[in-house]
Amino acid sequence: MQLKPDEEKPAELPTLRRSLVAASCALLSATGAVHAENTDWQIDSALLYYQEGKGRVQAVEPVVSVKRDFGDEHVLGLKLTYDALTGGSPNGAIPSASPQTFAAPSGSSLTQNQQVQTYTTASGRTVRRLDTFSLYTATPGELPLDTSFKDQRVAIDGSWSQPLTDAVKLSFGGGFSKEHDWTAMNASVGLSRDFNAHNTTLSLGLSGEHDAIKPVGGAPIAMSDYTLFQKLRQESRSSTGGQIGLTQVMTPRWLLRLNMNYDQSTGYQNDPYKIFSLVNADGTVAGYRYENRPDSRVRESAYLESRIAFRADDVLTLSYRRLKDDWQIQSDTIDLKYHWALSDDRYLEPHVRWYRQSAADFYHLFWDATKPLPQFASADPRLAAFTAPTAGFKYAMTGPDGGEWSARLDYYFQTGKNVQKGPGVLAPLDLYPGVKSIMLQFGWRFGL
Amino acid sequence: MPASFDQAVRVESRPGGLHAACFKAMASPCEVLVDTGDADLALFLGEIAAQEAWRVEQRYSRYRSDSVVARLNRSGGRPVLVDAETTALIDFAKSSFQGSQGAFDITCGVLRRVWHFDGSERVPSMAAIKPLLELIGFDKLTWQSPWLTVPEGMEIDLGGIGKEFAVDRALALVTAQRKEAVLVNFGGDLACRGVPRSGAWQVGIEQPLEPLQAALLLELKSGALATSGDTHRYLMHQGRRLGHILDPRTGWPVEGGPASVTVAAGSCTEAGTLATLALLQGAGAGAFLRGQGVQFWCQPPA
Amino acid sequence: MNQSLRSWSLIAGSVLLLALTGCSTIGAKPWERARLARASMQLDDHAVEAGIDDHVYFSKEASSGGRGFGGGGCGCN
Repeated sequence: MQLKPDEEKPAELPTLRRSLVAASCALLSATGAVHAENTDWQIDSALLYYQEGKGRVQAVEPVVSVKRDFGDEHVLGLKLTYDALTGGSPNGAIPSASPQTFAAPSGSSLTQNQQVQTYTTASGRTVRRLDTFSLYTATPGELPLDTSFKDQRVAIDGSWSQPLTDAVKLSFGGGFSKEHDWTAMNASVGLSRDFNAHNTTLSLGLSGEHDAIKPVGGAPIAMSDYTLFQKLRQESRSSTGGQIGLTQVMTPRWLLRLNMNYDQSTGYQNDPYKIFSLVNADGTVAGYRYENRPDSRVRESAYLESRIAFRADDVLTLSYRRLKDDWQIQSDTIDLKYHWALSDDRYLEPHVRWYRQSAADFYHLFWDATKPLPQFASADPRLAAFTAPTAGFKYAMTGPDGGEWSARLDYYFQTGKNVQKGPGVLAPLDLYPGVKSIMLQFGWRFGL
Repeated sequence: MPASFDQAVRVESRPGGLHAACFKAMASPCEVLVDTGDADLALFLGEIAAQEAWRVEQRYSRYRSDSVVARLNRSGGRPVLVDAETTALIDFAKSSFQGSQGAFDITCGVLRRVWHFDGSERVPSMAAIKPLLELIGFDKLTWQSPWLTVPEGMEIDLGGIGKEFAVDRALALVTAQRKEAVLVNFGGDLACRGVPRSGAWQVGIEQPLEPLQAALLLELKSGALATSGDTHRYLMHQGRRLGHILDPRTGWPVEGGPASVTVAAGSCTEAGTLATLALLQGAGAGAFLRGQGVQFWCQPPA
Repeated sequence: MNQSLRSWSLIAGSVLLLALTGCSTIGAKPWERARLARASMQLDDHAVEAGIDDHVYFSKEASSGGRGFGGGGCGCN
């Protein structure tokens, strides 16, 4: 039996039906019935090109991060980072009035499989393993750069976060990073709780890291003479850290975050490739020693961030960080960004950052050869006193598929503070030339 | 998918050269009819629809403690941030509530605390119903997208639209894959896209009082059908049969209405909402649907 | 804990106290959160970019981290 409907359709839709049709359409299109975006997968990728001035480090670093939302804020995150570095890195020695030649372990070592034609040894025995070195020379007045510096790093990071209750959230993270001389593993756990109708969030975090360090050619014996090649096999260090965070919604347009961090690292803190110069009273170089740092470091930092919304979709982000460690380094960082919405799908983000730090108490640009060696000494420019401003901008646009394309350019330069003058022949030389660099980053993020 | 679900999807052939992929979801038999002689294709499409049905069920079933709805219902009066899909569903519920002057209300589930439609004569007292009416009313929720505040004691239930919503979603997912004509049917709420080679989808309308007989046959070429009414859930009161459709404004079952009503509309969500609203009109169900300008079929009350 | 960090804790404590005592001018009601819900107001919005920044600055400065967990993980010079 075939059925006739009870009533024919009138031409005009009544109000309720019209609103229902509209609401159904809105529901089915908002939930992405066919083509609309489904944000189960979030992919964030970037390619960084980094270049320092004067033949120093160049890096290319692609990063892909994938986030999968399994529903109800159960989120799995995976991040893969690769970076390839080439170019010269300062070895710690100061520029000199005469040419300086250094020998860097080149990484490759000869094995018995290779066709070594002859050996020269003091004992007359056959050598099983012969390290090879690459020689590099710094011309007078030039900052000695280890040009054999070449590295590739692969890092993978994972995270999981999920709510425990409506107000409590738990997260775990772990990471593994590998380069030819350095392996790092880290893990963290975090717990956060919302108060005041989600206006206040208090978070606690704990993290741990272990690094295994196998420098090319071995880890040098601290303070040993650079020319003696006294090496040990491998070193390690581990650190634990804690964080207390407070996020507060101040007004419907103002968000404040404060983090307190504590981090303690024990074990090998030296840079196995860094040396420092021993200088005679007349400014000539008497030799080089491998650096030595204390075997522990405790850092405390506070970070304050404020985000204020203006106009339709503009946001001013201002952050300040103060860090102190027991090496007597103190640093201040101010970072300012303005997210300037040019239209619904484009924004421009000017950025300035200002950084300054004081020197570590064992930092010495060079050491007076006539004085006995100190217990700790390092000439690593990262431990010196300097200021470093950064300025740049980012431009981003959203495509019709909802993906965001962006390009960012930042310029950074470091200038030394209270740089010590050298004696004698060193007097006219700039012993701390600082560094200039540009960062160019392309980003693409989209949902699947 | 949770292990508690029967996750099997099986395929059988149906008259007219069709294949049907059948599975269970939302406590109902579900099937996807595909106009194809290829059983593997039907299975492939059926699995897509089944995954979607199970997903929607898991997210919105009030019986599952890990569902979005359960999380909202135990939020203790605090605002909860909801995702985009839930936002769209709440927006829909709000429009339906407003458009129906409060008849369609996702907060009326608290009435289930006193009404048990088990065929007995256990009718709750007005004294038991009255305090519950305080806990009913979409307008008592605070909905500031994407934040929803469900006041302490109140409950929301998206079960009234969840199945129809799942049908529309599943149909969209399946037809995005293939060009073949498809009909998705979750427990009697169905939607189709495309006309099968046999000319039209042959849909039987169950006669509720003779549940196993599909006496009425309907030829469907496009759109969706939803049926509301359940003859197995009722109470006897002073010799009358009370259906399980409760009016959120009175807290009492609607009397004098049809045993079930089937509505045809553009989407299953729309058809299902109209069918539910019609039953809430009681004896005025037919007039109501006539006024909405939709095709419908009423089964007379017992 | 040194002097400056102690004063930071003081600031944190006051903000927390202010918030917890339910000072009515602080915070946003659920219906005032539209602006806060936008991507540009999310604290960890550009995590990949932040990670790149941390790595670059870490390779040239003695400081790292602060924003969240991070820093370390490489012997980059």
